[in-house]
Amino acid sequence: MSTAVAGEKKNYLNEHTGIWSWLYTLDHKRIGIMYTVSLFFFFIVAGCLALVMRYELARSGPSGLLTPEQYNQAFTLHGAIMVFLFIVPGIPATLGNFLLPLMIGAKDVVFPRLNLFSYYIYLIGAIMALVALLSPIDTGWTFYAPYSIQTSQGVVLMTAAAFVLGFSSILTGLNFIVTIHKLRAPGMTWMRLPVFVWAIYATAAIQVLATPVVGINLLLLIIEKTFGIGIFDPKLGGDPVLFQHLFWFYSHPVVYIMILPAFGIIGEIIPVFSRKPLFGYKAVVISSMAIALVGFFVWAHHMFTSGISDFSAMIFSVITFGVAIPTAVKVFNWVSTMYKGSIRLDTPMLYAIAFVFIFMVAGTTGIYLAALGVDIFYHDTYFVVAHFHYTMQGGAVIGLIAGLHFWFPKITGKMYNETFARIAFVLVFVGFNLTFLPQFVLGMNGMPRRYFDYPPEFEPWHFASTIGAFMNGLGYTTAILNLGLVALFGKKKAPANPYESLSLEWQTQSPPIHDNFEKTPIITDWTYGYGQPVKTAHH
Amino acid sequence: MFRYLPEQASTFANDVDWLHHWITDLSVFFTVAIFGAAILFSIIWRRRNNQDHETPRILGSHSLEVIWTVVPTIICIFIAIEGIRIHKDIRTPPEKSLNINVTAQQFGWEFEYSNGKKTNNQTTIPVGQPVKYILRSKDVLHSFYVPAMRVKSDALASMYTYVWFNPIKTGEYQGFCTEYCGAGHSTMLFKVNVVSPAEYDRWLNDNSAEVMLAKMPPEDKGRALYNSKNCVSCHSMDGSAKVGPSFAGLWNRKEKLSDGSEILVDENYIEESILYPAKKLVAGYGPVMPAYEGQITTEEISHLIAFIKTLEKGTAPIAAPAVAAAPAAAAPVDLTKMTAAERGKYHVELKACNACHSMDGSKIVGPSFKGIYGRNGKLSDGTAYVANDAYIKNSIWEPMSQIVEGYAPAMPSYKGQLSESDVADIIEYMKTIK
Repeated sequence: MSTAVAGEKKNYLNEHTGIWSWLYTLDHKRIGIMYTVSLFFFFIVAGCLALVMRYELARSGPSGLLTPEQYNQAFTLHGAIMVFLFIVPGIPATLGNFLLPLMIGAKDVVFPRLNLFSYYIYLIGAIMALVALLSPIDTGWTFYAPYSIQTSQGVVLMTAAAFVLGFSSILTGLNFIVTIHKLRAPGMTWMRLPVFVWAIYATAAIQVLATPVVGINLLLLIIEKTFGIGIFDPKLGGDPVLFQHLFWFYSHPVVYIMILPAFGIIGEIIPVFSRKPLFGYKAVVISSMAIALVGFFVWAHHMFTSGISDFSAMIFSVITFGVAIPTAVKVFNWVSTMYKGSIRLDTPMLYAIAFVFIFMVAGTTGIYLAALGVDIFYHDTYFVVAHFHYTMQGGAVIGLIAGLHFWFPKITGKMYNETFARIAFVLVFVGFNLTFLPQFVLGMNGMPRRYFDYPPEFEPWHFASTIGAFMNGLGYTTAILNLGLVALFGKKKAPANPYESLSLEWQTQSPPIHDNFEKTPIITDWTYGYGQPVKTAHH
Repeated sequence: MFRYLPEQASTFANDVDWLHHWITDLSVFFTVAIFGAAILFSIIWRRRNNQDHETPRILGSHSLEVIWTVVPTIICIFIAIEGIRIHKDIRTPPEKSLNINVTAQQFGWEFEYSNGKKTNNQTTIPVGQPVKYILRSKDVLHSFYVPAMRVKSDALASMYTYVWFNPIKTGEYQGFCTEYCGAGHSTMLFKVNVVSPAEYDRWLNDNSAEVMLAKMPPEDKGRALYNSKNCVSCHSMDGSAKVGPSFAGLWNRKEKLSDGSEILVDENYIEESILYPAKKLVAGYGPVMPAYEGQITTEEISHLIAFIKTLEKGTAPIAAPAVAAAPAAAAPVDLTKMTAAERGKYHVELKACNACHSMDGSKIVGPSFKGIYGRNGKLSDGTAYVANDAYIKNSIWEPMSQIVEGYAPAMPSYKGQLSESDVADIIEYMKTIK
């Protein structure tokens, strides 16, 4: 099997070849790549569904493309696939898998077999979800009872798929936590860890703690639907609000599963491209952990109009503001890092700067929704749709895309085409904002979400949004083609460390060898030692 | 664009918008400042000619960290407290509120007033009077949302919820269902009609609609049911496919069912489809219609069937309730040979004005035509009127603009259906009714 091509250095890609060397691999780097390919397959599927919806919504009145039921199925599948198959596994499963051992100076994750097992569980869940597409469901990705109990039986398979996918998430989280605790190289103390590792660590904690709750919730839904035992359906004596509590107890923290690793990526990119240490490293680390912790106690802000008591609404509103502050701290720290830097504006940095803008919008619009009296007005309107797309797409997806560009030479040993990457960046950034800024305006004017059709006065904003969506889609297509084609067919070698990063994953060859490092690295300094020491700096 | 909010029609709308504007101003300020700084830094300290320049190793700053933790915290506390204050208002209905029961079901709203009056997808309330809507769902979750009032609450089948507001100006406001409830979710709309207290009283005690309904032939009763039972949300009258098959040309048609068999649309199939919609689905349509078993009487079903029978293929939706379609139209009529008054009589019969306006001085739905020309009286807004040519013309074309005191705003507009000369003829005819 060992067939390193003559003249080419041995690395994890050419050490073993053939399909089985991938399917049986225990190498975290290959598993990370398998996840990346699978995730982007689903990203494209769900993205196309979004475009179909935007086409339908471009004009007031039916377009003739979809019936109302098909539209409802389209937004359900778009949401369910994006959330459960793409963005929840998201950055931890892809870049996290690839980078975590490299960043802490380990050969692999602590349980390589469990890692591969997690991947196959993901695959089984994904196949179940695909089969569920055949008997289309129309509940929305939230599966709210009692509608989900009264509608098509496809819900059972789809929720079962989400249940299975949950295990993949739990096992990956567990694997990462133990890896970070046990496999750090000598000298890699906690306060020397890259912020990306901290972000993965905080994320893994949420994965392990929150996912079982939604698992139970989905299981209860399946039991109710299959055996008619009354849990959530009032007709059977159940309580639909209980479903929402259990659902959001997971599904709000899951937002931080999606976004924290993206914060981590931005925290890695900005110092490298500014040649400056990350400003306020400790504050950034603490804010990640604070977000993960506080994120557990804000779930009912999804339910201010659901019939919960006014007192609990008040409590949850106040705690929700508690998430805003550590998030603000992060943004301040990123921008301060750029101060007096030597800034190179390559594609990863462009995405990182765009991220600052997008996350300011995402964060500040979250304030409207946390403010109780104002949220009553905005709940379940397009304002919410726009807000969470700013966090999920603008945050998590753009963070992932930024990271994929940044570590592309590390992963493939090649360099993507910078021109195409910049064109893609412009299309993504402009298209994204054009899609979702008008949706804030729609929400401000009372346009409810999940509407197949709408009154004509909303049309100009919807039309602009549709134009933006297609532009956005074109941008992602360009970026994915650029990365994908260069990875597969590119000939030109990239330097081992083209961006001159100081962090550990770049201190070995690119692509790395199977065991990552020739010999166990010994760490003597922290990751962000950029720039000349100055007297005014504190320690 | 940042001030682009709907009309303010309730007492707390202004408070909500005030906080909205505060958050907006702060957000825009911080976004511009921070993103502006990022842009500025990338311009000033951009690496030029691919050459790194020296950078200082600044690790952080305690004082800055404290400032940008404390300042956002203070701002957040301010917004949180104001948000809670406004919310308290939104959640505390005054004791003397007008209570209206609302029943939500797929895909419509039923409003029930204290005197038992019921309306569908439309609620009329007096201006300046706090109103409390007590919400309950019959099936899945729904949400009662009126943007102009800045209120929203889910309706559940397991408990009562409510919204209240105090409308500050008259007008018609759009209401939406904002909790996804199935195929017809985006058609589950309603209107909030805010009127003067006097008009509200009249409206509340006006049973002319029922009186009129009782006098209608079955097909028109069916048409009324088509609207009130929310058939209209999913079944069109003009042949276009909505959530369900169109009613146009449905009668006596052979429909292909989802199991491949065919069925003739007759009385029994229609009845079964209303009571147990999922039993025999027309091919291409999903099992999304709620069962009306127990919610509709046999008599009502017969009225709906009579209504469906009248809909030929491609019938356009008719806004005006064409009470008792004119049989006279069949007979050859030569209008040119008639006097003006005779032509007027012909139009009055053709449009069935007499279904609502008597010739003998009795009150049906609208004022009697007996002695109408030149009559003096008061309008619902308290102003005086004289039934002269201009007044009558306006009453026919724009009936809602001037309602005679004591009568309901029930008449459809005949603009486009009766020309200027038709109206002149009708006025001549009216002069003869004494």
